[in-house]
Amino acid sequence: MSHLQPQAVAAARAPLPPPAPAQEPLIRAEGVNKHFGKAHVLRDVTTRFFQSEVAVIIGASGSGKSTFLRTLNRLETHDSGRIVVDGIELNDTVKNLDAIRREVGMVFQQFNLFPHLTVLDNVTLAPRRVRGARREEADASAMELLTRVGLKDHAHKHPFALSGGQQQRVAIARSLAMSPRVLLFDEPTSALDPEMIKEVLDVMKDLASSGMTMIVVTHEMSFAREVGDRIVFFDHGRILQEAPPDQFFDGQENERIRAFLGQIAH
Amino acid sequence: MTSLVLSAWPDSWSREQRCTATMVAAAVVLALFMWLLAAPLAAMPEPIGPAAQQFAEGTRVTVELTLVSGLLGVLFGVLAAVGKLARLAPVRWAASFYIWSIRGTPLLVQVLFVFLALPMIAPGLALSDFNSAALALAFNVGAYNAEAIRSGILAVPKGQTEASRSLGLSPFQTFREVVFPQSFKIALPPLVNNCVALLKDSSLAYVIGVAELSNVGNRVQAATFQPVPVFVATASLYLILTTVLTQISGAIEARLDVEQRQH
Repeated sequence: MSHLQPQAVAAARAPLPPPAPAQEPLIRAEGVNKHFGKAHVLRDVTTRFFQSEVAVIIGASGSGKSTFLRTLNRLETHDSGRIVVDGIELNDTVKNLDAIRREVGMVFQQFNLFPHLTVLDNVTLAPRRVRGARREEADASAMELLTRVGLKDHAHKHPFALSGGQQQRVAIARSLAMSPRVLLFDEPTSALDPEMIKEVLDVMKDLASSGMTMIVVTHEMSFAREVGDRIVFFDHGRILQEAPPDQFFDGQENERIRAFLGQIAH
Repeated sequence: MTSLVLSAWPDSWSREQRCTATMVAAAVVLALFMWLLAAPLAAMPEPIGPAAQQFAEGTRVTVELTLVSGLLGVLFGVLAAVGKLARLAPVRWAASFYIWSIRGTPLLVQVLFVFLALPMIAPGLALSDFNSAALALAFNVGAYNAEAIRSGILAVPKGQTEASRSLGLSPFQTFREVVFPQSFKIALPPLVNNCVALLKDSSLAYVIGVAELSNVGNRVQAATFQPVPVFVATASLYLILTTVLTQISGAIEARLDVEQRQH
């Protein structure tokens, strides 16, 4: 868990970042705007993410939460504002980009495993090609990661032979193989059958308790409450509120968010 | 027909073993066929027997022409497909012009152009008849391959590229390791079609005097005045070659089919 609990900002429109702590934030977003054609999908988004923090981003669909997450490793470009990851600004300079993507892992809703490679090769591809690891070392550390997510017996299968929950756990192991400084999760359990959600969430909880910095877009409120250090609520492309989970879920005063939470609960 | 050889292996063998065995067997058959063809042909009655050496030589030239232009054609196809999807507009225009001009003109004209017109334009590029035919055929099949490969690349989901890029792989690594292997599998059936068509189209090298199989058939026919047995023999040799080709490609296809959708 985080020792840096960013202070709650419970005001209705509160894009103010939490007060600067002793530590530099790992990721800084300042006044980020993004349009898809005429749609203004991100409006002056300003926030910070800290080392070892688990930030959970929630909001209605179409509120811009996934788009924002994808700007953090530049799968989406932003139109204005600044995004700084680990001291490197995200702009059109490609060199920055590859460096940042090595440090920022991403787990997708649809897993996006490579279907033509075995589970083991899915995990070792990036370490071997990007970090230049030898096959034996890459295989050994991949087996450790697969053991950690409970899948070492499936290393030589192809992804199609695995269940959705198993595939997502492989995808997490694949991201971890690059030893990223932060992991982004884009609705990691939304494409899963209910009985498989738990196995993925358990892996994510284990990661969180090991100190991994995580930014998670999800609809799993129990995970947000239990594991999150901070809840970031998106509404119509804005951050409407940032607060610690207990305050967010139990002491919620904002009508709009109360209505959202009421709908989710049913 | 495709799975004829593939299913002939023992049931206990794995898919990979069957596929590898089929590819090896087909390659061996092809090599033996080309090596020993003259012997069975020589045993045949008039007018084939006396011309056995010529038929064997013509078959060898046809296979060589197909192999050389087929491999070059895949290379041209990949380059043109990638060019057509490139971010730089001039590269896209060049690739589109290539595909448009080749697909819009007869192969016969292209073969004649490379052999007769190219040396006029660029005197250093006077090629032998075989090389001219191989180059023209390679350019031709490359344009058709490009469309097959391009649609294969477009059929690979965008999430694959995103996953690869967010792991830190460069655009080129992403293409080589993730997108291309998947698109090649999708593009393989139309590529094989093109390759079979290429084998048959190689007969057009006849017009610039390459002594390939059709040319041999016509010469023997002209010398013996027996078109029926000569052209039945010629056509049979083509049929054997195309059959071997589809067996090899069927095995490659099954080898790449890790999801075993065909079983």
